[in-house]
Amino acid sequence: MSNHLEAGSYEADTCAHCGLSMRGASADQLNRPTAANEPSFCCNGCQGAYELIHGWGLTEFYALRDQLGGDESSANGSRKQSFEAFDTDDFLGKAKPRELSNGLLTATLAIHGLHCAACAWLIENAALQTPGLIEARVRLNDHTIRLVYDSKQLKLSQIAQLLDRLGYELAPPTHMPDEHFRNEHRRLLIQIAIAGFCAANAMWIAIALYAGEAGGLAAQHAVFLRMTGSVLGLAAVVFPGRTFFKGAFAAIRTRTPHMDLPVALGLAVGSTVGILNAILGRGAVYFDSLAVLVFLLLIGRWIQFRQQHRAARAVELLLRITPQHANRINASSETETVLVDNLEVGDRVRVLPGESFPVDGVIHRGKSTVDRSLLTGESTPITIDVGDEVLAGMVNLSRSVDIETEAVGSDSRAGKIMQAVDQAIGERIPIIQLADRIGGVFVMVVTLLAVMTFLIWVSTDWLAAAENATSLLIVACPCALALATPLAIAISIGRAAKRKIFVRDGAVFQQMARTGVIWFDKTGTLTEGRPNIQELHGEKRALGLAAALERECCHPIADAIVTAAAHSDCDNNLVAESVEVHDSGVTGVCGGSRVAVGNRLLMQTRGIDVGVSMGRIAESVEAQGVSPIMIAIDGWVVTVITLADPIKHDAAGMVSKIRQMGWRVGMLSGDNSAVVARVANQVGIEPTMAYGDLSPEQKVNVVKKGAIKAGGTNKTPVIMVGDGANDAAALAAADVGIAVRGGAEVSLQAAPVYVSAGELSVVASLIRAARSSRLLIYTTFGVSITYNLIAVTLAVMGQISPLIAAILMPISSVTVLTITLAWPVFLEQKK
Amino acid sequence: MSVIYIALPIALALGAAGMLACVACIRSGQYDDLQSPPVRILLDDDPEIRERPAATDSKHH
Repeated sequence: MSNHLEAGSYEADTCAHCGLSMRGASADQLNRPTAANEPSFCCNGCQGAYELIHGWGLTEFYALRDQLGGDESSANGSRKQSFEAFDTDDFLGKAKPRELSNGLLTATLAIHGLHCAACAWLIENAALQTPGLIEARVRLNDHTIRLVYDSKQLKLSQIAQLLDRLGYELAPPTHMPDEHFRNEHRRLLIQIAIAGFCAANAMWIAIALYAGEAGGLAAQHAVFLRMTGSVLGLAAVVFPGRTFFKGAFAAIRTRTPHMDLPVALGLAVGSTVGILNAILGRGAVYFDSLAVLVFLLLIGRWIQFRQQHRAARAVELLLRITPQHANRINASSETETVLVDNLEVGDRVRVLPGESFPVDGVIHRGKSTVDRSLLTGESTPITIDVGDEVLAGMVNLSRSVDIETEAVGSDSRAGKIMQAVDQAIGERIPIIQLADRIGGVFVMVVTLLAVMTFLIWVSTDWLAAAENATSLLIVACPCALALATPLAIAISIGRAAKRKIFVRDGAVFQQMARTGVIWFDKTGTLTEGRPNIQELHGEKRALGLAAALERECCHPIADAIVTAAAHSDCDNNLVAESVEVHDSGVTGVCGGSRVAVGNRLLMQTRGIDVGVSMGRIAESVEAQGVSPIMIAIDGWVVTVITLADPIKHDAAGMVSKIRQMGWRVGMLSGDNSAVVARVANQVGIEPTMAYGDLSPEQKVNVVKKGAIKAGGTNKTPVIMVGDGANDAAALAAADVGIAVRGGAEVSLQAAPVYVSAGELSVVASLIRAARSSRLLIYTTFGVSITYNLIAVTLAVMGQISPLIAAILMPISSVTVLTITLAWPVFLEQKK
Repeated sequence: MSVIYIALPIALALGAAGMLACVACIRSGQYDDLQSPPVRILLDDDPEIRERPAATDSKHH
């Protein structure tokens, strides 16, 4: 079984382990197959993982993965990382291994890189074949693994290394499993179980009673059945059904309409009359209908609760930007890995190139460049030196530096932003769901109708009047109506998640279905957030030499040059003999020539002649406000390249699509106004709607003002789309915050929607989906109100019997269910 | 028909026992993870079966 599937995965340009396309991987990374039918790999990590899996005879993993429809494996195996830290309690914090009674150790850790059940299978089977590892139990829903191992044979660091080779990253859990969710989930399930038991049995008894009416049933038996049914129905209303009464009381206290109101009214009236009738032995007992009602409504709630929570989990599991661990320099000037939470003001911390700063601090030793785009939105990295301040969340780019901690946790800048986010969330006016508004109206209409019915009939027969009024109150109970919204929202959230859009709050669909203002952040949202090469003047060949040097450093400009070289036809197999990293560029030797790559300053300090023609090109580029990067070979500048942060390819198309849907589109950026104006022009945003040089606080103000200006009684919604920590407060202040891929942790927490698909066009399809789901809610409302109208009309005329009521109610629920499940929320097909 | 005086309570007691068992399962956490268990049962977890040289034979099923 495994073989033909494997054979499939050897095809053309995909890696045999991770299944990713190998185009774009530079030549030296490719491990080309020696024969045509052998697997090829995109990197050594994948090859290592593949060989390991083969060695264990676990190749069925690939077949399983394809069958189960998982994503490609993560290709991050064999990163250079030290695992010794896993053996220190300081690193693991609360998750440190506990000793079991039989002397074995157990630890529950977070595991990253799980895609589908095949991953769980692979890990658990790999564990079986590892001596000393007694048990590994993967939990897919919260991405944790429980390990039981023998500390005499195996250390935790070795397990971490083993899993790393397979491409899974082991980490201390970010927080203890979500107690609140677990308890709430269990409580809902228990309520459903009780309601289900009551409803099913009450229905059997009801069927017996209806059959008895037709076929004759001894009076004492009928009384017994009625009493038993009443007890069951009453149990359903009192125990699981009290949720609705609580909701209704809360709605009355806060004077906000809520769907629980009419439900509670129906339940209360039905129960009271039902008890009276059961005791007095006359009229109808409604308990079968009531129990089923409670059961169905609880199921609707449970589905919505699970979908929202699943989306929330998906976001939580995404990469964090502020690191969890730091390299603290101890008294004997060695580094030790500690949890960031354990750092104190005054501690010295070493930050390696490519890492982000864990705390706010002052540079104590070393010089480097930092990327602070996530905090400020600036697209160009800045140089830092001893005595300069750095903030948690900035990324160290060129060289290792030591910092002295000045602020940690909530005192740091990132912590302050987080507080601003909390504040903005607190100030946001909760959206009253459409269903709840209707619920408020419904109660009044139904009560009026009931009074009317009573008045119509009271002149003829007092008892019949009371009977008809109560049956009206019961049949009008909007079961399908209350079920419609949670189901529609759950379906929309679920379908959105399939398109990698995670919606944590279903109410956003309602906001997005209208028209209003949508603000975009620039860096990383409309643009890629990384520079790439725009123009190249002079010798192209030099790019290969430059790339050989730049491969040794970690910097967005270096990445841009390496990528450009890989896509061009220059020699990609060159290896630099020596490389030296400076503030303004790199110098080194490659292929026997002295090569320098950097800005004008580097050329000046190195005494390199820019030359006349290259100098002219550089000047003309500088005149446009772009700083050129020069490549010099053996003391002569031969090539000038310009870099720019490219606009995402679908940005302009998406902006015009959103415009067509009636939204006003604007841009808010912390970057330089000139750059903002240029980008606005390219994607088609009006100049008056593009703001640059904004601080995070100013962004919040614009978002809030936008909400007020457009104001009036019917406030138009404001959407904010952003990625960085500098957008976080604005994301929280907007009616709908959408965080995009690669964003900062705080922005993910602030926004109720997270888009992890790389394409921006999903924002447009999300708006379309929101409209579609609003239409779905309206349609299901229409259907269920029609059923209710029929029932109410019959009740007013005194024609309703408990049997008709018992039949009408489930039919309307089933119709609503069918329409909802069949509804195409995302109309367009995924490309 | 008087049998319902006995049959109905027995039926309800059996049903209630089932419900209580279900509630006990929920309380013990069996329903916390609804994703991995249904797939885990499909995966053949006997390592001996996989001892065959899977990587080299060229049979197609």
